Amino acid sequence: MRLFKTVHDYDYSWHMVSAAQWQKYPNEHCPHVKHVDVLDSSVDPETGVLRIERLISVTQKAPGFILRAIGASTTQYVREVAIIDPKEKTLTMNSKNLTLSNILSCEETITYAQHPTCSDKTTFTQQATISAGTTVSRMAGMIEDWSVQRFQQNAVIGREGFAKVLEKFVVLAEAKENSASN
Amino acid sequence: MSSSIGAECTELKQKYDTCFNKWYSEKFLKGDTTPECEDLFKDYKACVMTQVGRKKLPRTQSIKPNTRSSISQVALKEKQIDTLLADARKEAPFPPPSQSSSNSSS
Repeated sequence: MRLFKTVHDYDYSWHMVSAAQWQKYPNEHCPHVKHVDVLDSSVDPETGVLRIERLISVTQKAPGFILRAIGASTTQYVREVAIIDPKEKTLTMNSKNLTLSNILSCEETITYAQHPTCSDKTTFTQQATISAGTTVSRMAGMIEDWSVQRFQQNAVIGREGFAKVLEKFVVLAEAKENSASN
Repeated sequence: MSSSIGAECTELKQKYDTCFNKWYSEKFLKGDTTPECEDLFKDYKACVMTQVGRKKLPRTQSIKPNTRSSISQVALKEKQIDTLLADARKEAPFPPPSQSSSNSSS
């Protein structure tokens, strides 16, 4: 089992970051994310908390030894559940791979929360647990090492890709606000 | 906007996404949590669920047939991703009931 964690602050309010987050894909930095589909969306009438379930289709280039182990298919599916609490100003996304889980399981939790002391900043936390299954015990270490490496690379390009989306989103939002107040 | 798993659902998805993004910024974040876009979502979801039921996974990833899926759509009964989804939902409903009740304390 391997653990991964990264923390990053965005210099924008939680409102801005959480709204831009829904427009992250398609993203030229993340060509491995092919499709994003919403499966369910509901608001808890008591708490006002929004829950969104999504299915993410991903293709990932992998070394030959991994492709042979998994049957050479490169499209994988991930289920993600996002919980958004507008009062607490938190957006939490839990995701886990649906396919290949007997070979490799990757559970990820991402949180976007208002910065504890600075309300115009947003703290991004990404945590993941990666573990190779028992069916590949002889290769488990190799598969985990490769997966963590790839996860780290994707985390970096994902953040760069989102930063671009966020900047564009902020410019558009500010332009809209200015035109509305004029 | 990202495309759908089913090419023929992408247009429906983009209509829904446009509605959702507007609602999220202009209503939801400002405290009006009354859902909108539900009709658009219904059309888009019906399309995507048919696609999800049809997608076949390679033999090595196939799974033992599930006893019964809790989801009612006819197309979903077929197999594969829909079955994996049903299993995942059972295993991890998100959020667990105790968590959602603690949210209301603030």
